[in-house]
Amino acid sequence: MKGILGAAALAAMLTALAPAAGLAQSAAELQRGAADTKNVLNYGMSYDLQRYSPLAQIDKQSVKRLVPVWNYSYDDNRAQESQPLVYDGVLYVTTHSATMAVDAKTGRQIWKSKIEYPPETPRIVCCGIINRGAALYDGKLFRTTLDANVVALDMKTGKELWRSNVIDWKAGYSQTVAPLVADGVVITGISGAEYGIRGFIDGWDPATGKHLWRTYTTAGEGEPGAETWPGDTWKRGGGSTWITGSYDPALNTVYWGTGNAGSWNSNTRKGDNLYTCSVVALDPKTGKIKWHYQFSPNDFFDYDSVAEMVLADIPVNGKPVKALMNANRNGFFYVLDRTDGKLLAANQYGKKVTWADGIDAKTGRPIDSEVTQNLRATEKTVEVWPSTLGSKNWSPTSFSPKTGLVYANTLDIGMKYTPTREEYRAGATYWGADIEWVWPQGPRGYLKAIDPATGKSKWEAPSDIPRFAGTLSTAGGVVFTGKLTGEFEAFDAETGEKLWQFQTGSGIEGQPVTWEQDGTQYVAVSVGIGGVYAIFSGDERLASVPAGGSLWVFALQR
Amino acid sequence: MSSAQWCVVALLGLGVGWMVGVAGGTATAAEEAPPAEMAVEGRRLYARHCSHCHGIRMVNPGNSSFDLRRFPQDDKARFLTSVTKGKNTMPAWGDMLQAEEIERIWAYVLTGGKS
Repeated sequence: MKGILGAAALAAMLTALAPAAGLAQSAAELQRGAADTKNVLNYGMSYDLQRYSPLAQIDKQSVKRLVPVWNYSYDDNRAQESQPLVYDGVLYVTTHSATMAVDAKTGRQIWKSKIEYPPETPRIVCCGIINRGAALYDGKLFRTTLDANVVALDMKTGKELWRSNVIDWKAGYSQTVAPLVADGVVITGISGAEYGIRGFIDGWDPATGKHLWRTYTTAGEGEPGAETWPGDTWKRGGGSTWITGSYDPALNTVYWGTGNAGSWNSNTRKGDNLYTCSVVALDPKTGKIKWHYQFSPNDFFDYDSVAEMVLADIPVNGKPVKALMNANRNGFFYVLDRTDGKLLAANQYGKKVTWADGIDAKTGRPIDSEVTQNLRATEKTVEVWPSTLGSKNWSPTSFSPKTGLVYANTLDIGMKYTPTREEYRAGATYWGADIEWVWPQGPRGYLKAIDPATGKSKWEAPSDIPRFAGTLSTAGGVVFTGKLTGEFEAFDAETGEKLWQFQTGSGIEGQPVTWEQDGTQYVAVSVGIGGVYAIFSGDERLASVPAGGSLWVFALQR
Repeated sequence: MSSAQWCVVALLGLGVGWMVGVAGGTATAAEEAPPAEMAVEGRRLYARHCSHCHGIRMVNPGNSSFDLRRFPQDDKARFLTSVTKGKNTMPAWGDMLQAEEIERIWAYVLTGGKS
């Protein structure tokens, strides 16, 4: 008996060790997150999506000596929003049309694996033909495709190992999301809430691509929450899941945000419309929902809640809390207890918010303003702030445990909003409203250093054309981000003073990352204009910004 | 800025002929100007099928998709072919949109987004 067990244990050990000869990204490595400064193994720099690095070679003084080390062309004119991953001296990057491995020191391409999808697919993609990045695990790279397939590539060669179809793209489903690997499961979301989809989150077997589970984000017949949808509106109710969730290994819980309900005219679907505009806490092995919190019930305004659910252990009212933080598109900054979804704080961080008078601390529900009450009653045109772009769009925030502040590229844009009654047509948009922009007198965006407890800014760095890039914070006291006009920028995390910038040649919508190799700290960011603001805002000041995707890597001048 | 643009709806009847006169420049183009109601229907279709790449009311900096306000107004054939069969990064719409729907979108494009 002992001998048999011993053999089984040995076999298991050998299986576990087998990939180590090549490329091993074990669960333990993925959990190290930002503490592993030699690699960037997670979307969001670590499972908690803090986008914070303990590296400090580049600091407030030395950042002035930051210079480009190399540039790598994506050979692609679409928007670039992908976050690079780094493992063992190799960068792994994605566009909508290719996956690439690049030598981190030289910038030379190691392999490139092209993605083919039907040329009609962009018809069902609302807001930029993009991809947000990959996940690494056990020698494989996982990514999604615009036409809704999850694929696994061999990290060494780029060869496709498996491909699993998620759903028929022709019905309005697409994918741009970077997968998450949690508890040995590849987890992916879906896009298409503007096309009358029914949203979901999927779990896949990393070894084979076998579909393990699907959790829908609109509650259907017989499911808890079904009563929040009239008739069969849940079938086209939206609730997309296009931004990667966070993961707490200790609680073994994944936190995934959900998108707007469809169509936008919420009078056509009276009820809370669970689980749209929410965060759902999931068991990664089964996809079972442990708890949910809904930010914007019966949402009228396209206030997606997909954006990053940042995990941090922070003091709230003097007590340490396992918190989940979210700078919501609806203009409020939320702090939840991530063990049970209880609301701890919800304060306005958006410059101008007129759709709600506040968030009821007891019920966790927004208090409709007069504007929203009138809209629900009459369906007549209203001016409302923020616009469908939100007080912050998808652009990921970073959280510095050193300053306790959240660094967010925020927007100050309103809209005239007129609900319509849209007839569903498969593969066509299902807006349900006409909008026109209302611009502020001054800047349209601010990089803000937000106190999560109050929503108030410690400092703000305005920009006439708003920023849509991610932010990165470091122990060197520097915050990196970029502009749609091409400047890659560094700010003082304490004061907001601009310390450095470099013109990259196209608009920046990417997500900066940092790592160290052989004693040098590197910073990388994808650049390339063409996302939601460039397409939708009609901001003609961007006409002078050329398209052209590429990857920049920076380090201090020696 | 955009509020002002939307008010131009009221000038629709005037707008179609005026835009064609200015941008198309030929008497032939003016004679072929489609009825105003076609452009109104076209605007709706444009909003649903085209605006997510070409911008609300065709206002678009033109760095990631074609600026339709600059489309040659005397080249309807090119427009119909591009929409039906696709061009460069633009997908084909021939299996999705009916011929008369594309005609209406053309009528809207001729207004330069002002209808």
